[in-house]
Amino acid sequence: MVKNFGDNQVERLLDLVPYLVANQGVALEKVAKDFNSSRASILEDLNTLWMCGLPGYTPLELIDLSFDTGYVSIRNADILSHPRRLSSYEIGAIVVGLSILKQSVDEQSNHFRQIEELIIRLCRTSQIVAPAKIESAVTSSIRITLGDAINQRRLVSLSYYSFAKDTETVRRVKPLGIENLDNNEYLFAYCYLANDFRNFRLDRIKDVVALDVMDDVVNQVDSEVIDKYEFSVKVNSQPRKVMEVLHIQIPADYSSGDEFLCSAFNAEWIIRTITSLAGSAIISQPNLLRSQIRERAAKALALYK
Amino acid sequence: MSRKSERLVNLVIALLATKRNVTKSEIFRTIEGYEGSNESMERMFERDKDELRSLGIEIEVSGLDPLFDDEVGYRIRPEIFSFDSEGFSPVQIAYMSLAAQLWKDASLSEVSQKAVRKLSGFASSMDIGDIPAVAPLALSAPIFLDEIVNCISERKPIEFAYLDHELNSNFRNVHVYSYFSLNGFWYFSGFDTEKMDVRTFRCDRIQGELKVSKKSNSYQVPEDFKTDTSFNDLTSDKKAILRIRKGRGAQIKMLASSSIEDGDFDTVHINYSSQIPLVELILWHLDDVEVIEPMILRNEIVKSLENLVDFHG
Repeated sequence: MVKNFGDNQVERLLDLVPYLVANQGVALEKVAKDFNSSRASILEDLNTLWMCGLPGYTPLELIDLSFDTGYVSIRNADILSHPRRLSSYEIGAIVVGLSILKQSVDEQSNHFRQIEELIIRLCRTSQIVAPAKIESAVTSSIRITLGDAINQRRLVSLSYYSFAKDTETVRRVKPLGIENLDNNEYLFAYCYLANDFRNFRLDRIKDVVALDVMDDVVNQVDSEVIDKYEFSVKVNSQPRKVMEVLHIQIPADYSSGDEFLCSAFNAEWIIRTITSLAGSAIISQPNLLRSQIRERAAKALALYK
Repeated sequence: MSRKSERLVNLVIALLATKRNVTKSEIFRTIEGYEGSNESMERMFERDKDELRSLGIEIEVSGLDPLFDDEVGYRIRPEIFSFDSEGFSPVQIAYMSLAAQLWKDASLSEVSQKAVRKLSGFASSMDIGDIPAVAPLALSAPIFLDEIVNCISERKPIEFAYLDHELNSNFRNVHVYSYFSLNGFWYFSGFDTEKMDVRTFRCDRIQGELKVSKKSNSYQVPEDFKTDTSFNDLTSDKKAILRIRKGRGAQIKMLASSSIEDGDFDTVHINYSSQIPLVELILWHLDDVEVIEPMILRNEIVKSLENLVDFHG
């Protein structure tokens, strides 16, 4: 099957007819929104369709449209009234999408069972192969509890594992939103332990309990600007690993010893990450970070003396 | 643009409505929009057929039998043109639509947008809004995910450049068997024709474009193939004894087979298979973890720490 990208008017017209048949009297604006088009191009589409029909092309054979009131209705379009077949690419996107949805609902729920059945059916009739596994580091119950708390403006008690500090804390927070950044999900919340806004990585939330407390005081989401630490590293070996861990781009023609500028939000994270790289990457600037790593490594070394 | 679209839609309607295959001369005579000399109508019709086929519309051709002198005839079978919705419940249509909408702003947005449109031709819209969306999984998907999915069903080999540990781009030719997503990354597994072995690839390590072979059914997925998503060889046969400061080292303690309290530290026994990831994990914990045994691991940590002190001196 040829993969056809871009918007093709013929394709749009063929899909517009069953849509209008199923949604008689739909507002022009909604058609434009559902078809990701402008009102003007939908009007042009309708004016084109108006001229289409069975050979003969008398009013008896032509598609009958009315849309001058701003609402669209359609008659005499029986031949095209049924939605078109999904292509294998479209079924593929749906099967992977369903697999992601399945992962996000409770395994005991009706949704889970029904989605699973649907995936099996689509794969059987299309030869599409479902993903072998979809696993997110975030458990679905945590995402569900947080989502409910955000909607109901409730506080929650959060058990949070701080990766950089290697400690777990329990704190009361008011969840405000879930954001995506660099492939990770973060909870943006007001934290009553820090008395400030904080971001929590969802996969490091160990447990969350909804509290029966509402708080309407903290609503203002002032996305505060957090200062990033900038630092330079000299890459000695394992370039792919260093690139992926420090989120930097290293060109293929790099040679050992080249320096790269990096940034991170947390000095502790930088120190531990560079240490775990065991010399593959060395901090060259700033001197403060250099001396911190030297001291911390020396302290660890003291355990062995 | 509109005139051409009009002709093409009329062609689709006529070919769908006919109960028998219609000939070219019938098409030119009856379908609005075919004008000019016979030659230019012929050219027009060839282009129209190509365009409709590129939209995934199958046009059946009859009368190609050389023993008969019949003129070639064309039609579109409604049962092939249309979505076979037999037995799909309104809620299943709604799930499919939601699944396609998940790709909004993500890699498969164009192809799924088309699916959403087609599915919007079904009357009922069920409310299944209580399903939380898992955007990051879709957002982290590679742009060529649809190629991966389809090359498996058509069993077409793929070629791509893959970054190795040293950032060298290596050319790979792979018979893809399966794909999966784990902790924010997308992977596929398959037979590497050069290494002559099954390998797993992380999608974001692919450089540039992925090339799908044109030839389908070029390989078979072994019936007993099982995707290994663990990335570990399962023989965690090596043992280590560590001292971990109390309240620290949660990530290492997850690996522990036993733990004994010992003052400010706990003595922890763990099993492991591969030394490199364990070294990284221990170094991460700085002075909260000490290796007691084995000596090879202890020496490696000491050497790495000495290097770190030297290099940052």
